[in-house]
Amino acid sequence: MARETFERQLQLILDQVLILGSMVEQAVLDALDALKRRDLMAAHRIYAADLQINEKRYSIESSVITLIATQQPMARDVRFLAAILEIITELERIGDYAKGICKITQLISEEEIEPVLLYNLQQMANFGLDMLRRALDAFVVGDATTARQIPLEDEKVDQLYNEIYHKLMEKMTADITTIDRANHVMWAAHNLERMSDRVTNICERIIYVATGEMRELDIEEDGKAGFN
Amino acid sequence: MLTDLETSMTQEKQDSTPTLKVDMTLVSEKIQPSSGNKIDIRDFSFYYGKFKALGDINLHIAANQITAIIGPSGCGKSTLLRSINRMNDLVPNVHTEGEIILSGENIIGPSVDVVDVRRRVGMVFQRPNPFPKSIYDNVAYGPRLYGITRHFGLDEMVYNALKQAALWDEVKDKLHQSAMALSGGQQQRLCIARALAVEPEVILMDEPASALDPVATLKIEELMQTLKETYTIIIVTHNMQQAARVSESTAFMMIDSPETRTGVLVEFGLTSQIFTNPKNKQTEDYVTGRFG
Repeated sequence: MARETFERQLQLILDQVLILGSMVEQAVLDALDALKRRDLMAAHRIYAADLQINEKRYSIESSVITLIATQQPMARDVRFLAAILEIITELERIGDYAKGICKITQLISEEEIEPVLLYNLQQMANFGLDMLRRALDAFVVGDATTARQIPLEDEKVDQLYNEIYHKLMEKMTADITTIDRANHVMWAAHNLERMSDRVTNICERIIYVATGEMRELDIEEDGKAGFN
Repeated sequence: MLTDLETSMTQEKQDSTPTLKVDMTLVSEKIQPSSGNKIDIRDFSFYYGKFKALGDINLHIAANQITAIIGPSGCGKSTLLRSINRMNDLVPNVHTEGEIILSGENIIGPSVDVVDVRRRVGMVFQRPNPFPKSIYDNVAYGPRLYGITRHFGLDEMVYNALKQAALWDEVKDKLHQSAMALSGGQQQRLCIARALAVEPEVILMDEPASALDPVATLKIEELMQTLKETYTIIIVTHNMQQAARVSESTAFMMIDSPETRTGVLVEFGLTSQIFTNPKNKQTEDYVTGRFG
């Protein structure tokens, strides 16, 4: 007799993790959209909505702790639940980055941002969120191979971040009156760059669930993702 | 009486099982044969008549550790445990193959002194089974068989055994009362004291807490942690949380196929590995409760 009740409870928790992933993804997209349109009302609304992300995270954490206490999971089950505790923390932090971008939108207010910078920011978000979506898919099916590949794509996000960084440095050097605004844009880029780092952390947990290996993923010089 | 003794002591001392291939590479490298092992079970098979109850067991039990044996009912856990102190000799028409090496000496074989093996390897059973005698007489029973009298330190042996079994403080004022008046948990610790009184090297425990309440179970588990400093302990348990809590190493056994029903060792490793990252699918299914 398989543990049907336990399996059902695991599935319910997994569903909630995926809902949290969707909430976070939407928050990042909305935050960037608000920045592009300089929509202060939307930014304020998204900023406040971060509370719901936090509540969802705590609700999942509570469910996981209850399940551990009542079902005494072992082996892959306990790795799965331990991984969820880490993954929801990473997701919640990505939600915080979206909140940070909203704060930047409020600080920048009506000031101009070059379209090319906004385009690069959007590209960073697109890459990062695509990594996140595929990481969560890999988590659902326990796909360690995909989880090892996704962090390799972090390099594209880093390249975009470096491009933005150099453009802003040039701007600040040429005109010191742009320093405040450029700094704000740099922070938005930094938040998006950190988002993809969080996806790498999620991938480490997916590999842990699938294989039991608990080590930090590192992108080696030959371009392969490995453990160090 | 023991009140004098006390003052004189200056120092307190499942059935749809598919055919199973056993992959011995799953035996952890950290638990390979070594001179530090208390018991080495080598190619051990056990037969009840023609029925092969255990097949080619290779297991290496480290000294001064607790080793848990887990597995579904009927997989041969208790048969293996009882082989380690030759208790199965009491069953008619059994025979064995292979070796069980205890402290460098093969205890399997007709020339071995079985009484001495049972002294060196004590056993505690599922249900407490004190003799219908006094607490003192229960503990003194084994030493008396060896001719030890009160003039030759019997009182001290009883005191030490009860002390080691964490029972002395509870019974020191009623040593000559019936053991049957003790609670279940106390009776089980008395049985442990009875096993310790003959100064064994190994203690076998066959589901020692399955008939006890949670508090008595906790006392037994805590006691095991103290006892392992002096003895090597092997515990058979159906309670996987208990195996995970108390043991350093865990062996998972299973029958090889529904037809032959021979018990085999599927995986042996550090307890931390077996319960978080077992290498074998059958172990994974069993410890996660998806067996059968």
